[in-house]
Amino acid sequence: MNTPQPVVLEELPSLSRLYVNAATTAARRRVLGANSGGTRLPAVSHEVRNVRADVENLTAYQHLVGETASDTLPAGYVHALAFPVSMSVMNRDDFPLPLLGMIHLRNQVEQYTPIHFTEALDIRSWAENMRGHRAGTQLDVAAEVRSGSTGALLWRGVSTYLAKGVFLPGIDKAGTAHGSSTPADFSPPDPTALWQLGLDTGRSYAAVSGDFNPIHLSVLSAKALGMRGSIAHGMYLASRALADVGAAKSEAFIWEVTFEAPVFLPSRVALDIATIQSASGAWERSEYVAWNPRSGRRHFLGSVSALS
Amino acid sequence: MAAADVTTGENPERTATPPATRRAFIVGGNRIPFARTGGAYVKSSNQDMLTAALEGLIARFGLQDERIGEVAAGAVLKHSRDFNLTREAVLGSALSPETPAYDLQQACATGLETVLGLSNKIKLGQIESGIAGGVDSASDAPIAVSEGLREILLDLNRAKTPVQKLKIIGRIRPKDLAPDAPNTGEPRTGLSMGEHQALTTAQWNISREAQDELAFNSHRNLAAAYERGFFDDLITPYRGLSRDSNLRPDTTLEKLSTLKPVFGKTLGSEATMTAGNSTPLTDGASTVLLATEEWADQHKLPKLATVLDGEAAAVDFVHGKDGLLMAPVFAVPRLLARHGLTFEDIDFFEIHEAFAGTVLSTLAAWEDEEFGRTRLGLDGALGKVDRAKLNVNGSSLAAGHPFAATGGRIVASLAKMLHGKGTVDGRPARGLISVCAAGGQGVVAILEAA
Repeated sequence: MNTPQPVVLEELPSLSRLYVNAATTAARRRVLGANSGGTRLPAVSHEVRNVRADVENLTAYQHLVGETASDTLPAGYVHALAFPVSMSVMNRDDFPLPLLGMIHLRNQVEQYTPIHFTEALDIRSWAENMRGHRAGTQLDVAAEVRSGSTGALLWRGVSTYLAKGVFLPGIDKAGTAHGSSTPADFSPPDPTALWQLGLDTGRSYAAVSGDFNPIHLSVLSAKALGMRGSIAHGMYLASRALADVGAAKSEAFIWEVTFEAPVFLPSRVALDIATIQSASGAWERSEYVAWNPRSGRRHFLGSVSALS
Repeated sequence: MAAADVTTGENPERTATPPATRRAFIVGGNRIPFARTGGAYVKSSNQDMLTAALEGLIARFGLQDERIGEVAAGAVLKHSRDFNLTREAVLGSALSPETPAYDLQQACATGLETVLGLSNKIKLGQIESGIAGGVDSASDAPIAVSEGLREILLDLNRAKTPVQKLKIIGRIRPKDLAPDAPNTGEPRTGLSMGEHQALTTAQWNISREAQDELAFNSHRNLAAAYERGFFDDLITPYRGLSRDSNLRPDTTLEKLSTLKPVFGKTLGSEATMTAGNSTPLTDGASTVLLATEEWADQHKLPKLATVLDGEAAAVDFVHGKDGLLMAPVFAVPRLLARHGLTFEDIDFFEIHEAFAGTVLSTLAAWEDEEFGRTRLGLDGALGKVDRAKLNVNGSSLAAGHPFAATGGRIVASLAKMLHGKGTVDGRPARGLISVCAAGGQGVVAILEAA
């Protein structure tokens, strides 16, 4: 990355304060009828140093997403640790897109080394690659997690978000095709698992991840933001799929997910996981896809593959 | 005998020469440090801890993706939803998901019984490898609804109409809402394990000083073993803990002597059992890798010891004939007799320290001439255990006692000690394990150096 020196924050920003700030910014912009005025992403990164997992919170996270409470941080937990830093970038006054209402399209994580829960972590995040989308403007928010002691890169994540209906001057609309098959082509396979997600799924994940985005908390708070009901966190769903892949995966891996239809709560989600092995029988990759068992609509799909 | 046995239809030729059984080897073990209840593992479930111990074993012996013959483990305090606790731990581990597993429960003897059960399968040729283990959490203990509420809820489930349902709900009384937590009380006597042991301790005239000394030695021996690095290849740290949190390396006999008695306070005799000479409630898990000689060699793994044999016994504590935790007193002489052995042939004695009084009552019974004659059917006393050979690397009083995990802790440690000792007077070094259990039961075993 070629950004200048990072802005070092004293501590992990509070996500709830960031959401409140985002809401007031959104209200202000609505009243004043102006956006940030910028059409470029801020050319800075934010960094927080010496972040340590809280063991009680880690255990609660592991139990919620179906991981065994081991001493290794699940890749999705590292995402949750880095998320406030990413949010603080998107909450800057010079950030050109409205934070609230952004849609999580895709997430890719590269886990280079298992991270022990006692390890001090330096977390840096920045926004990049703003580009057009047929429905608005999309961008990538990248995060890097390094060992506080050795500086080694342990984990890297890229989250792709869409600001729906926002078209900035100078950014072209992209074509419709992106990624794999379109949702219309999807015909559900036989499921390998069926998740029962209660109304409190969003609140439970908010409690362990700190992501109190109102669209996940309750029907009312979600409706206030224009949703027809509360939806499950994308990273909760992806983290459960990662937990279902389980210990078969290698220590270093790439974990990808593409989100399609949101999961409105409460809901049942059907899941299919397939394992791809090498000729020698070693684990190479697991692919997963999840859909609504009633409508057959695809919710998300992704994979976990060995990183060599 | 020439004719076939008409009652069983079996060929006498075949039954006359039973198939030669194989030996079951202990390759090694792994446990997580034991934590006092409410401590480092306060939020960890049985499945979490068993998986952690299993993952450490897998890492130590390179068992990733390995299909093990069978995994057997259990927990004493177990929620009914954990019916497949061991299989779930296997599925959460790096072992091949095609590794079968079963749960076993025999109170505090659970861990040792899993070792014996899997050893027997290995000896019989049913499996080539096995992982035995146990786990318990007193912090994350299951709590059930009261018996009254349970019946009401079940009735409610069967009710068909709203009126029926309302009637059933109306039966709920405030007392039904009190939760039902597990305790260490014996169902038939209502006495806690400590109160039972207090009776036995008094019966065998075990002094407070002797109990405190045993507890002191347990802490001193365990601390010395840690200092020597004895546990370096037996323990994997978990949740920031790398040593048993109950261990008090700096405890003294003076300190132990100041503790107030907690059990036996209503007995006629002086109360002698304190929190210092009784094991605390503890969380933890342990595992032991067992295999045939060929399997260990093929995988280039060590063979520390063999499981020679085991024996279970039970006593009638309900009617006061024997103390609740005295069953090993009867199991040991039977096991020794089966192999023509005496205490002279044993180099290490691992007697689980449920309470210091348990160990001392057991030793006293074995040293008692009259008891040997009338109760054990011997010519006199069974014998005297050389104290220099007793729990030489500490035991439950210092390490703590997560019920089902204790057997695995003892077996792995003893196997390592025996391997280090090698031979004694030209024979393999031998160790005797004795574990008492609730319900008046006990399981004992003999291991031999390999």
